Amino acid sequence: MTHLTIEQLLAVREPGLEPGVQGWRDHAAACEICRAELERLDQRVARLRAMPVLKPARNRFGEVRALTRRWRLRRRLTVFSLGGLALAATVALAVVLVPTLGGPAPAQLTERQELDDIIARSRQLEDVIQTLDSDRQVTNGRAALVAATLEDRVAQIDQQLQLMNLMNVQTRSPDALRLWRERVGLLDALVDVHATGASFVRY
Amino acid sequence: MDVFGLANADRVLPGVKAGDPAAQEAVYRAFEAPVYNLARRICRTPEDAEDVLQETFLEVFRSIGSFRGDGSLWGWVRTIAASKAFMRLRRNKYRETEELQDDVVPIRREDAALRMDLEAALERLHPTSRAVVWLHDVEGYTHEEIAALMDKTVSFSKSQLARAHVRLRRWLGEEVPA
Repeated sequence: MTHLTIEQLLAVREPGLEPGVQGWRDHAAACEICRAELERLDQRVARLRAMPVLKPARNRFGEVRALTRRWRLRRRLTVFSLGGLALAATVALAVVLVPTLGGPAPAQLTERQELDDIIARSRQLEDVIQTLDSDRQVTNGRAALVAATLEDRVAQIDQQLQLMNLMNVQTRSPDALRLWRERVGLLDALVDVHATGASFVRY
Repeated sequence: MDVFGLANADRVLPGVKAGDPAAQEAVYRAFEAPVYNLARRICRTPEDAEDVLQETFLEVFRSIGSFRGDGSLWGWVRTIAASKAFMRLRRNKYRETEELQDDVVPIRREDAALRMDLEAALERLHPTSRAVVWLHDVEGYTHEEIAALMDKTVSFSKSQLARAHVRLRRWLGEEVPA
């Protein structure tokens, strides 16, 4: 007499009725060996279900909360930046479409607008960094080194901008614009380092 | 039955969606142990399981806006946890050659006498087989659901379950001599 295979015994335990299963069920009901095997299978599954619930060795909620908070901050910043870009695009469009009488040339206006946007963006990033820095719990050594390098470069740029100011150089000159752009790039990278502990950044 | 469900899930959900830390902590505390347990049964190491635990709750808090409340919160969290655990398995690229070749290795005398306990036997299974056993026999997933989670066929899930039970039966000393 051929007994049921493990595949057939498992199929017998499944809900529903696949083709052939009723025949196997009938066999299991009639065959003492298969019935015993099915019972052992049931008991094994019952023992699996009764196994103790394993618990983590340490509490990770603090990390989850910090990472979730950082993610929300970054998302908010991204939304805000996209809004800023849309606003800048609207302004640029208005500059092109609305005829100006005696005002600055469109190119000058766009450059001025860009500088204002960059300075505003720089302030937002500083706020974010301050928030991230205040709730930072653990920073790995490499990430700390990258952050320090970026902060040094930001400080150098700030000195250059200050010098330009002292020398009465036009604060809206192309050089100033270039420095502000670089400053925003560095701050963006710093946000990455603080938020993710990245030890390699490109800006 | 929503075994691990929050009794006050309806009350804390708006808070979780708004990013309220107290509400997030309530959800975390309610599901921390079952999520870790599921991850630990699927993953190879406790460290992997802890990473899955963290990734699961990050995903839960980021995607809670998409939870519409059609099913239980635990069902939704559990699916995310299982998916993260499988991603971890795939990332670690466990090779089939790592599987214990018990089908081809004759049972040694001491092995036959060993009669492992269930915990050790489950641990000894290949991660894929162990995951299928756990999801099917303990968590109550269907083969169709497991196949979808693992990106495999229903037949694959069924055959993994059968192979796992053959091995468990042998290692637990439940084989009846022919």
